[in-house]
Parts: sequence; structure tokens; C-alpha cells
Amino acid sequence: MNKATNIFFMGKGGVGKSTSAALTSVFLAQKGFQVLIVSLDPAHNQSDIFEKNLSDKPFQIEPNLLGIEIDQEFWIKQYLKDVHNQINKTYSYLTAFNLDKYFGVIKHSPGLEEYALILAFEQIRKDFSQLDYLILDMPPTALALKFFNLPSLSMIWIEHLLALREEIIQKRELITKIKILKKEFERDKVLKKIEEQRKQYQTLKDTFEDPDRTKINLVLNPDKLSLAESKRILEGLGTINISLSQVIANKVQDDSSLDHIEREFKGIPLLKTPFSETPLIGQDILWRFLKENEDKMTNP
Amino acid sequence: MNPIIKSIINRIISIWKISDEVARGKAVEIIEVELEELENIFGVLVLGSFIGMPSPPMQISLDLMPLMEKELILMMEKVDTANEPIAQLFSVLDIG
Repeated sequence: MNKATNIFFMGKGGVGKSTSAALTSVFLAQKGFQVLIVSLDPAHNQSDIFEKNLSDKPFQIEPNLLGIEIDQEFWIKQYLKDVHNQINKTYSYLTAFNLDKYFGVIKHSPGLEEYALILAFEQIRKDFSQLDYLILDMPPTALALKFFNLPSLSMIWIEHLLALREEIIQKRELITKIKILKKEFERDKVLKKIEEQRKQYQTLKDTFEDPDRTKINLVLNPDKLSLAESKRILEGLGTINISLSQVIANKVQDDSSLDHIEREFKGIPLLKTPFSETPLIGQDILWRFLKENEDKMTNP
Repeated sequence: MNPIIKSIINRIISIWKISDEVARGKAVEIIEVELEELENIFGVLVLGSFIGMPSPPMQISLDLMPLMEKELILMMEKVDTANEPIAQLFSVLDIG
């Protein structure tokens, strides 16, 4: 049973997604929860924030807090290598040989970036299922929305391919029945693979849509640009049936007005994180900031 | 049984079997062409990006690709006859 709750941090570049994710992870770890912070953002700010050398191997930041940075390139390469090996195994030598030249180009195909993140996310969910929280620091909006969109979009294709494949199998069965007077029950490998894919994407879709398992925090600043982009994120997620759990207004100064944010995100809990004069770098500073602003931070 | 009669009976059985096979083959000829077309459509849909067609998200194609050598070869073969669809149809329906 996978008990870990996923907490995603989304928002425009520079609003403080990574810092908010780091603060939340420290807060939860200090409360005694087992936490893993995962940087899915290729910019990888978590190493700088915690002043540790995070990598794709889990690193113990604090007694209850682990950290990982996902290497997107590695996941793309690994995935393509697996596909290539399978092709070499199943195809005749000549066909496989002719396809070789395509593989150098495929790694630049659109869509593989977000799929690499999905593969990494699935692996992490499997490997760290016993933890309490997975804190996911997301890449900037465009890639983050593609990440959440991938299961829904793939499902549309999968359903169509499945229907077509079933028609092919039906026709094939009809031919063998007439020709050799009996039905051959050979399991179609392609159909089996499509069914596996459907299961994989459905599980992901269910995970993303379930507010108990997945919490999405939208981080923004009180300025107009970040509000405009945040509204687009809300709309984008709405079209794929994913709801926001919390809006985090970051870098709030005493004279900042949050009325417009409250109005736009009516009904969604709003957390205010005050502006910090000192850069929030290092565990001690993060923890001190949390202590000083304890009354404003709530448990996600 | 007289060996001559036995041989005649065997021949009749063999003729019956062959004509049965031919008739069954004829009966599914068009369905087979239809199946081939469907398999080609499936190939084009999944592996379209290899011949410059819109295709599903890359990972769907790549996951299915190792299992689709037959469709890939069929797709390449179809390219040769793609400019003569009427000729192909006439040959399927045995016209001319």
C-alpha cells in the first residue's frame, strides 16, 4: 500500500516554489513525519537552498528528511536504451539496423521531457512508498502542466488504439476460424501492452485527481504577472480535473494587498509567507524563518 | 477393399479437401485485405512519426514499437502501392 502523500509546488519561475517546498519539507520533518523532497525542476535549486550536494541518490538532509534531484537526461537516455534493446531482441537484424539512425533523433522528440519526469515520479512513488510525504518541486509552468496533462492526453490515444486493435483481433480470429475451422487463442502482445499502458495512465490520473493523495500548492507573489500565470495554471489544471489544495502567497510585505489573490482563488485556502530580508539558504535559516513565522504557517 | 476403389476414394477425399481449402481461402480473401489495411492504419497511427505523420505521445509509440515489426514492414510495403489504390482494389476484387 502506497501511503505517501504527494505535495507538488507549482508556479511562475522565480516566485519561490523551491523555497516554499524546502520550508514545507523542513516543517514536516521537524514535526516527526518521514519526508522526501524531490526536485523535478531541471534548474535544481534544492542543492543550493540546503547547501548540500543532492543527486539522483537519496541524501539524508535531516534525520527525517531525504533529498533527491532528478536528472531528466538520464531518464530519457535510460528509457530509450531499454526500447532500443527490446527492438534489437524482437526485430530481425535488418529492420533493427535500419532503425538505428532514428534513435539518435528520437531523444530530441517533444514529449519525452515530461515522460522522463513521469517515469522518475513513478519510480520514486514505488521506492519511497512507506514515507509520509513526497514534496515535489516542479519545473516552470509549461513543463509542469504537460507533466500533469500527460496521463489524460495519453488515455485519449490509448482508448482509440485499443478499439482499433480489438477490431484487428476480431477480424484475425474470424479468418482463422473460417480457414482452419477453429478459433486460435493466441494473446495479442500489442493489445496486452496497450492494456498495460491504460492501467499505468489510469493509475497516474487517479493519483493526480485524488485530493487525499495529491496536494497541489500554487506559489505566487503579490504582483500582476505571477497572478496572471497562476490563473492560467488554475485553468489548465481545471481542464484535466485536478484541483488546487492551497495557494501560497510568497514574499508578502506588510504593505502588500492580497485582495485580488483572495478574489481570484476564492474557496482555496491561502497561506501567506512573509518576505525575508535574509536569503533563505541553509537548514538553520529555514528553520529559524519557520519558528519566527510559526503562527502563519499551517500544516498542508 | 479393392485397391483401385480405395485409391479413387482417397483421390476424391483429397480433391474435396483441396477444393474446401480453396473455397475457404477465397471466402476470407477480402477480409484478409481488410485486415491488412487495418493493420496498416494501426501502424501508421502508432508509428506515424517515422514517416512524417502526426503521432500519439512519443512514449506510446516507443512502448509499442518493439512489438510491431510486422506492422512496420507492412507500412513500408504499402508505400509502394499507395499511389495506385484503384489498381490494388481491382486486383483484390479480381476484376480485369
